[in-house]
Amino acid sequence: MLFPKPLAGIVIVLTLALTQGCVVTRGTVGEPLQEEAISAIKKGTTTMAEVVSLIGAPDRIVRGYDREIFHYYYYDGKSPAMLLLLLNFIRIDIKSDNLYVFFNRSGIAEEVVYGKRTDRTQFRLWPFGD
Amino acid sequence: MTNVAARFPSIRLVISTLCILVLCAGCSVRRVVFNDVVTTEQINFIRIGQTTILELADHIGAPDEVTESEFGAVALYNWSDTKSAALDFGALARLVLPYAPTLTLNKTGITPEQFQVVFDPQWTVRAYGFSRRTTDEPVVWFWPF
Repeated sequence: MLFPKPLAGIVIVLTLALTQGCVVTRGTVGEPLQEEAISAIKKGTTTMAEVVSLIGAPDRIVRGYDREIFHYYYYDGKSPAMLLLLLNFIRIDIKSDNLYVFFNRSGIAEEVVYGKRTDRTQFRLWPFGD
Repeated sequence: MTNVAARFPSIRLVISTLCILVLCAGCSVRRVVFNDVVTTEQINFIRIGQTTILELADHIGAPDEVTESEFGAVALYNWSDTKSAALDFGALARLVLPYAPTLTLNKTGITPEQFQVVFDPQWTVRAYGFSRRTTDEPVVWFWPF
């Protein structure tokens, strides 16, 4: 036997006592954007239909200077909280990924703008500081 | 006879810990951070009429929104740092009383900020600017008045 019974009991009780009041939450909006699919978009050749088959239907369609822009986004939020008897700390960190595919008047992709921030989302409890 | 002087450091430690607990009792600190802050230093590279949306995305990431305005296409970068603190004066009483009295002071400062970039038809920067910048507020500030 790895642990004698009293020691195992103490470890379980200590773990429960130390983690009581801890809340860990994760929330996402949309699906993560697949970088392989994004890199498969070739400027000047990939059509609107091909973009849809690669990544799916856009979350928004924007018009800019008479051109269609497909906007895809993904949000990731991480929130640890410590809800003790007398003191509460809650912190929520949310970041977004955004992908824009600009099409020319013929419906061919002419620019791809992609920014990823969600890889920097952290479970950070301490609410003070930067 | 008990040596009180020898025990004094430990008594002081216990009293200090109790004082800190009493001072923190009923405190609640919440913070919601959305996206990264765009600073003026980060946008120093922008040259009107030269910088493209692609170069902008390389330096500060893709915008959160692209929209068309009467001045042309606009890219918006959004971020916020919401701080909220509360002090519940009933927290200590709940430890000893059979009912749960509540008297809470709470202050929340929601500070959405925005960096806006207007583009010309070639998608190079025509103009840019920050929305109303807020001054840094302390994380713990529960006085609502």
